[in-house]
Amino acid sequence: MLRLALKMLMGDRAKYAGLIFGITFTSFLVTFAFSYFCGFMTRGFALIAENPVANVWVMDPAVESPEQTINLPDSALNRVRSIEGVNAAWPLALSTAVARFPNGRFQPFQVICADDATLAGVPALKDGASPAMLRAPDAVIVDPGGTDGKLETPILKSDQWPSGEPHLNAPTRELAVGDELLINDRRVLIRARSDALPRYPPLPLLYTTFPNCARILLPEPHLLTFVLATAAPGVFPSDLAARIHDRTGLKARSSEDFKADTVRWFLINSEDVGDIAAMLSLAMSVGFGVTGVMLYMFTNESLKQYAVLKAMGASSRLLLTMILAQAGLCALLGTGLGLGLCGIVGQLAIDQANYPFRMMWFTPVVGAVMVLLVSLVAAAISARPVLKLEPGVVFAGR
Amino acid sequence: MESTHNAAAPEEQFAVQCRGVTKSYGTGDARVLALRGIDLDVRPGELLMLVGPSGCGKTTLISVITAILSQDSGNCEVLGRDLQAMNKKERTRFRGSSIGFVFQFFNLLPALNALENVSVPLLINGQSRGSAETRAREVLAEVDLGTRLRSLPAQLSGGQQQRVAISRALVHDPKLIVCDEPTSNLDHDTGRSVMTILRGIAKSPGRALIVVTHDPRIFEFADRIAHMDDGKIIDVVDGKNRERTQ
Ligand SMILES: Nc1ncnc2c1ncn2[C@@H]1O[C@H](COP(=O)(O)OP(=O)(O)O)[C@@H](O)[C@H]1O
Ligand SMILES: [Mg+2]
Repeated sequence: MLRLALKMLMGDRAKYAGLIFGITFTSFLVTFAFSYFCGFMTRGFALIAENPVANVWVMDPAVESPEQTINLPDSALNRVRSIEGVNAAWPLALSTAVARFPNGRFQPFQVICADDATLAGVPALKDGASPAMLRAPDAVIVDPGGTDGKLETPILKSDQWPSGEPHLNAPTRELAVGDELLINDRRVLIRARSDALPRYPPLPLLYTTFPNCARILLPEPHLLTFVLATAAPGVFPSDLAARIHDRTGLKARSSEDFKADTVRWFLINSEDVGDIAAMLSLAMSVGFGVTGVMLYMFTNESLKQYAVLKAMGASSRLLLTMILAQAGLCALLGTGLGLGLCGIVGQLAIDQANYPFRMMWFTPVVGAVMVLLVSLVAAAISARPVLKLEPGVVFAGR
Repeated sequence: MESTHNAAAPEEQFAVQCRGVTKSYGTGDARVLALRGIDLDVRPGELLMLVGPSGCGKTTLISVITAILSQDSGNCEVLGRDLQAMNKKERTRFRGSSIGFVFQFFNLLPALNALENVSVPLLINGQSRGSAETRAREVLAEVDLGTRLRSLPAQLSGGQQQRVAISRALVHDPKLIVCDEPTSNLDHDTGRSVMTILRGIAKSPGRALIVVTHDPRIFEFADRIAHMDDGKIIDVVDGKNRERTQ
């Protein structure tokens, strides 16, 4: 009977196609929205991901994400280093600075100060540049940090550092090694371009060493945002984090926990989460609408057929199973198509627009569960008239 | 006349036995008394026609007899079962196992081919697809549709569709077959050939047919004709000599 139910469904090509389309659309939108969410969450903890060597992050007790930070006293580094189970510990500082470009334009940057000794925290560099050149005075690395067209400098020498009015409309090219910027009235020299992970929210990045930071940045009481540590062999990062917290009173989190904290922080504090939730609920309601209406129309127009089956002794359970089988087939096909489509479109979005899109293992699962929910509800709604159906309608004149 | 049909066991002397059956629709001012005390016997092996003006209650009566509707009062025994005593589930199962239906508009499932359409009652009764289709093939061959097994209803003529529908009504070997205006949608000759088939089916021992019709041209196929008006059986006549028998 189930085979026949599916044949009944496929017999009505237009509505079958509409149903599949509705579910494909739902699964596509849900997965896409969810992948977008994962994508920008991943960008939200890019700094943590960029330091994969660090097992444990130590910070001020009030810090909840790398997005909003306050600095630590300089003594924190040595206090962490003295704790047993810490294999190595090094500093990392975050700050912001407004840089002036050669044509007079200005642009805020996130400044990331890396440990002078180990150069840990410097991302992969382009064109085989060596991180060691950062130790030269006033040497910096710039990175778009997920932004587009924010690192532009005039092509013509005559437009650079003009006296008088800035040449804001001069033709530009992208910043390159050898270009200079002005930060707090101090010239810094770009010594390399990097391939850092794109950030969320997007912001151009400027990497340099602690001594250079001290030269470039305005005087700050402390220049230490995080102490990064690796655990000794056999020590679990979360155990080490707990120990560091006990001994220092500072907040210490394993890198995995800190990523989770960051996601939670964005969920609570980012307006974009609301946008994504809106996108998800839109996807769901459009999906509910299209799928529900299509399935409802299909069963409704087949009511007479169901009445015939009912008259011939088909139980409510059998009819319900038939409708569920029909919805199930559509759900399966639609989910597959939607996920496939999402993968393709997502890859295009990454390649073409550097879009924050990340399909994680649970994304298709969430998509499938949502679609299943949508189809089940749609099936339940359309099953109602069938179950309430009076089989007497099959007779002439009814 | 009556005794010659008594092939069945004594307790199943009647395929259908209705006494004082009433049925109304609606309540209050909108209440319509569709059946006003029906007494009707249908014997195994006979083809009984139910005729009467539109709105006189024919459909309501066959709905009660086939356990689709339940009567308000009175007694109705069908194939030895008291319908009133059955719950909804039992009535559904009873319809599926013991009753065949033929409808005016054929009511075949349009997406299914002839073979699948005829298999449906067996599948509903829980048979496997293989055995259902084997049996369906046999029955379709009996009505000369052995070569149109894979045809969809839309690819068949009206007469062929009604033959598929008859095969479907027959395939699970029900003891009562109810036909609701089976020839109204067919031309004269096709109608007659359909009636010839139905006539033949009724010959099978222990099977009874009730045919609701408007069509006087097919009265000759009846063993007996029950005339209905205004919710009552007004008389029952012998089909061949058109004499009163009840
Ligand atoms: N579902 C219903 N609700 C209300 N009245 C009905 C319903 N079905 C039938 N009737 C009424 O019951 C009477 C008998 O109808 P029906 O059994 O269909 O007669 P027939 O089949 O002989 O034309 C008619 O007056 C009809 O209007
Ligand atoms: Mg009628």
